Amino acid sequence: MRTHSLTLLLGILVSTPAFAHHSFGAEYDENKPVTVTGVVTKLDWENPHIHFYLDVKDDSGNIVHWKFEGFPPNMLIRQGWRRDVTMKPGDTVTVFGWRSRDGSNFAHSREITWSDGKKMTSGPPASTGAN
Amino acid sequence: MLLAPAFAEQPAVPRMADGHPDLSGVWQGGSLSFAIGVENAKKAGQSAEEATGKPSSEPGQDSGPPYQPWAAAKRKEYLDRRGIDDPIGRCLLPGVPRITAMPMPIQISDAPGQLIILYEAFHGFRVIPTDGRKHPDDVDPSFLGDSVAHWDGDTLVVDVTGFNAKTWLGGVGTIHSEDLHVIERYTRSRYDMINYDVTMEDPKVFTKPWVRHSALYLRPGERLREYECGENNEDILRYEKLLKNEPLFDGKP
Repeated sequence: MRTHSLTLLLGILVSTPAFAHHSFGAEYDENKPVTVTGVVTKLDWENPHIHFYLDVKDDSGNIVHWKFEGFPPNMLIRQGWRRDVTMKPGDTVTVFGWRSRDGSNFAHSREITWSDGKKMTSGPPASTGAN
Repeated sequence: MLLAPAFAEQPAVPRMADGHPDLSGVWQGGSLSFAIGVENAKKAGQSAEEATGKPSSEPGQDSGPPYQPWAAAKRKEYLDRRGIDDPIGRCLLPGVPRITAMPMPIQISDAPGQLIILYEAFHGFRVIPTDGRKHPDDVDPSFLGDSVAHWDGDTLVVDVTGFNAKTWLGGVGTIHSEDLHVIERYTRSRYDMINYDVTMEDPKVFTKPWVRHSALYLRPGERLREYECGENNEDILRYEKLLKNEPLFDGKP
């Protein structure tokens, strides 16, 4: 079973931890999962959340910019990330996450797969902000 | 349950010179799998049930906060706003017990007559006298309150008062008043786990005390890192945009 599916299931079926991502429900829509493939152009390795940007080709071949949010650096480090190593501008990645409630090309990432098959967790499971 | 090799046979709980259990170390509260990932939590020897970090309730007790009707209505307002009002979204200290459940480790250190707890989350800290003294009479309401502790057998009982009303106790909208009184019980029941049992009393918001049980998991080899929430908190700006129905990303990196 794919890790992200299992974790999403756990997030729904099991009472979420006392810390639920505070802004998830306000900003993102757990009913709008997205999977986006593109080239990393920028990574802001910052608190309270990292942000990274992808250039994504749309159906007509035009470049569209996507923005993603992720865990804070400390949480990523504990799950195996290393700054300037794990994700670099120029990487081709596929990001799974949940889209911004306003429908803009902005999403909270959950799991990232690199073109060489490497997979890393990058953010929390979806929550409604209703717990 | 498959235990990690280091804990295949649990060492005995270490004790301090005065005979009380030694609580010192780096620990992780809340959900271990949320904090370090499901695979890492399994490697740390967590059973699937433990790895969820789900705070349990005493048998027969509602797991939700026992709010008076007015407070339950207030909480519902915050839930309907999907958590946009969360104080920690503004990088404020989470209060007690919520800071214990943050997905970042805590360090407990013994000092003569005191317990020092450092929290990676929001660089919180608590200095807790353990000699049984009473609260001082000049306490100003604060996010983490004023703590004093005494030993009850092998359990450290921490009494916390002097809270401001600017924090949530746990999930969205779990409000409280300045009359909040928290009693934490830390029991190192085995080498790699501290039982963390919390009673929250607040006659202004609750109909009865709210009791929650959870655990702190020992994190061998872990160290606290810096978490400077104010570095680039985009949430505040985004909340303003949400409330004005403006887009959260204009497409320009």
